[in-house]
Amino acid sequence: MTNQYYEFFCPVKVIAGKAALEHIPYELTGLGAKRPMIVTDKGVRAAGLLDPVLAACEESGLEIISIYDDVPPDSSTGVVKDIAGIYRREKCDSLIAVGGGSAIDTAKAVNILVSEGGDDIAKYSGAGVIKHPLKPFLVVPTTAGTGSEVTSVAVITDTAKSVKLPFTSSFLLPNAAVIDPRMTLTLPPHITAATAMDAMTHATEAFTCMAKNPLSDAYATAAIKKISKSLLKVMDNPKDRDNRLELAQASTMAGIAFSNSMVGLVHALGHATGAICHLPHGLCMSLYLPYVLEYNLETIREPLGELLLYLEGPEVYSSTPASRRAEASISALRKLRDELYKRCKLPRTLKETGSVEEHQLDTIAELAMDDGSMMFNPKEVTLEDARAVLKTAWA
Amino acid sequence: MLAKRIQPMVFQARRLYVELMFQVMGRALQAVSEIDASVQKEARALPEGFLFEMMVMPDGSRLIVEHTGDGRFHYHGDSAPRPVDLSIQFKHIAHAFLVLSFQEKTSVAFANDRMLVDGDISYAIRMTRILNRLETFILPRLVAERAVKEYPSNLHLPEKLLSAARIYLKVATNFVETVRA
Repeated sequence: MTNQYYEFFCPVKVIAGKAALEHIPYELTGLGAKRPMIVTDKGVRAAGLLDPVLAACEESGLEIISIYDDVPPDSSTGVVKDIAGIYRREKCDSLIAVGGGSAIDTAKAVNILVSEGGDDIAKYSGAGVIKHPLKPFLVVPTTAGTGSEVTSVAVITDTAKSVKLPFTSSFLLPNAAVIDPRMTLTLPPHITAATAMDAMTHATEAFTCMAKNPLSDAYATAAIKKISKSLLKVMDNPKDRDNRLELAQASTMAGIAFSNSMVGLVHALGHATGAICHLPHGLCMSLYLPYVLEYNLETIREPLGELLLYLEGPEVYSSTPASRRAEASISALRKLRDELYKRCKLPRTLKETGSVEEHQLDTIAELAMDDGSMMFNPKEVTLEDARAVLKTAWA
Repeated sequence: MLAKRIQPMVFQARRLYVELMFQVMGRALQAVSEIDASVQKEARALPEGFLFEMMVMPDGSRLIVEHTGDGRFHYHGDSAPRPVDLSIQFKHIAHAFLVLSFQEKTSVAFANDRMLVDGDISYAIRMTRILNRLETFILPRLVAERAVKEYPSNLHLPEKLLSAARIYLKVATNFVETVRA
């Protein structure tokens, strides 16, 4: 009898494709919401991404009661409290997050406060603290990478204590994620590349780390196939709506995969590098992915070899001997990174970032050792191992 | 019919086994922190007075240890002097039994959602490394390989035997002292 056991959970309705935004009024009405508040950031508003959302609601007679467009890149407890105050004052009854990871995490935290009560979001920090369903909540992602629209986690900085507060509950998941190609059309090339590689890493780690399971595998492989096929096409033609939609869907699928099977050493190193050197998350993921796969190679040879089919297609897969497929998968990812470097100078080594000093590698390794993702890496990582991977990734 | 009759006894035996293993592990954690420099180094990063609990939900067996400073642990038995800082909770006694009888590695149990972490996740990762180190010392290699993700290649037999002997001696002494008290 097999010892395999797994859990899989994703109750988020995915609304994806052409004119998806126009479904927002119907979805909110179906949830009994009439007075929505939008949470977004200045960049999204300046790029005009809010306009089609507002037009879609206005045309259906749904009034947006309030718009908060000042979410900072690293959202804080103070911002959450302020937004919750506006929500209550304006008697809103639902939330729509329009943006990337920060706007979505902020809206998740605001939803906790306006649903559970109080002004101190810190007291809801941790796992399983929230016991009841929250207010109706829709998410419209404007990047194709984080997968936050389908994850049950939010991270908010407690500025007073200088710590990051994690919130974990299935109740944080939105009622629906609205994936519309219009929302990612204007993403600049380097952000398109970094966020897509973030999604690629989510899917690859979901497929090769310890908590992999048949359902997350299905989402992960589908996401890898879409990114491999569409990323360079979008880089060459940023207005390619069809392939933009493919990337956005891949990001959501990778999000579903990794939120159910977790991630490993790439994320541990990436979180530590982000915290110490303030490098964007997607960039760190893209940078570390091949080096970590090489480090984990002997433990993940079989699943990594399988990924060649989704990275390079059936011809390359069938013409590659089974014993060489894992290495070929790593080569395919390296090739993709080289192409991205050619197109938008997305760094391939720590040195190329220009933001990391060699003497910081030890500190990054030490911080990475305490990262939660380390638990799910298929190979036991020692401090020396982490240092060695960082050295390889240096130049 | 017979299976139904003996089922309560099996449950009782499993509960007693988990309880006993928690008592051994709690004492062994205190012992290993007194003799092993690697464990002390890991534990030093924990705040002084840090209380760690491992328990079976909802209110089953538990072990509580405190970091008393300088990398040393003190075993508190099954009651904490104040609210704990970090709690690793098995969702069911069956899951605790799987891990404590070395049928499922701790890391696999985490991956399989058998356990919840209540507290700072980075401390949970650190405590798991300490538990792994302890298990590699006190279990025969064949059993330890079933308990930890990867058996350390640099742990050689003489060091293992010597450390195991010292840990078991301290655990036994602690048991005797507890009984006498």
